Amino acid sequence: MSLRNNDRQWGAVSKFFHWIIALAIIGNGIFGLMMDLAGSPMRKINWLALHKSIGLTVLALVLLRIVWRAFDRRPPDEPMPRWQALAAHAMHAVLYVVILAIPLSGWWFNSVTGKPLQWFKQFNLPALAEKNDALRHFAHGVHEYLFWFLVLLLLAHVGGALKHHVFDNDNVLRRMLPFGRLRTNPPEGDRR
Amino acid sequence: MKRLAILLLALALPGLAAATDYTVQPGTSTLGFSSTFQGETFQGHFGQWNAAISYDPANLAASKFDVTVQLASVETGDSDRDSALPGEAFFDVAKYPQAHFVTTGFRKNGNQVIADGTLTLRGVSKPVSLQVGFAPQGSGATLDVSGAVQRLDFGVGSGEYADTSVIGAEVKITAHLQLAAK
Repeated sequence: MSLRNNDRQWGAVSKFFHWIIALAIIGNGIFGLMMDLAGSPMRKINWLALHKSIGLTVLALVLLRIVWRAFDRRPPDEPMPRWQALAAHAMHAVLYVVILAIPLSGWWFNSVTGKPLQWFKQFNLPALAEKNDALRHFAHGVHEYLFWFLVLLLLAHVGGALKHHVFDNDNVLRRMLPFGRLRTNPPEGDRR
Repeated sequence: MKRLAILLLALALPGLAAATDYTVQPGTSTLGFSSTFQGETFQGHFGQWNAAISYDPANLAASKFDVTVQLASVETGDSDRDSALPGEAFFDVAKYPQAHFVTTGFRKNGNQVIADGTLTLRGVSKPVSLQVGFAPQGSGATLDVSGAVQRLDFGVGSGEYADTSVIGAEVKITAHLQLAAK
């Protein structure tokens, strides 16, 4: 598997970005929803610090991914009806926006609460906005509902990938799977 | 007997040459501190405190600071922190409502005056030295005092809060006093 994308499948770098961001953002989302289970205030402080550090890492990875995507030509679409390709591309665009918006809204939420923002105890990042207690609740809502919105998008994204894999027997899923092997022959019943 | 009386008088004389007693102007005087939380410095101050200041730069031996701080009056600009600080793990104001600093002596380090004293906080008494800046102003003066303490010396932020990689170990103390002669 080459680092770069080729005409048939995603390269190692694209796959790495896709799966590490998927794991991190879903895991950190679930972790974020669990904050009230921390029990003690200090444990919550530490959990939140970890949540923020992972979130900042996701943000950096998404930005790197977008840069990589701009320079590495994506593989052409698998054969599929035009409406499906358009829907998939629209979904991908919205996913990119949302995976950027979730960490950024968390950063903004953190800023209006006036809390420090530290990356794994290594360095601090500036606030995106002034402390503003009136916005605290709203900013938290934006951050959390964006995650639920992402969950909805994921249902469609994963559903689409599985539909192509199971019913269309094409390479849409396989070409993004880590170590996925492509189907070499055109699938039965798809002689276009 | 006469010699002893003279000796006692001689010993007492520096004490008799009293330093000026000052009252602190509450509106323009501040007692503050700073520390770090998650790598960021924060400032705090106490709203309620009293200081008995007797000071004469030419007679440090007769000078004295005696400061009492109502710990529940702490404010740091963060509601979570302000509600945590009076609690048992930090100042424990239910048991120890006040902090107390009293000087035990003054000395000079070059031109810098140092006030040595004892700080009693959360039931622990430890020596603390503060730098003193005194500037006469009309009949009064301004007094700027600064120093640093290690919070864990006094058990402030005990238990799980003892993690100094999250809550800084050192707390800097700064006081700015506007003094009026009594």
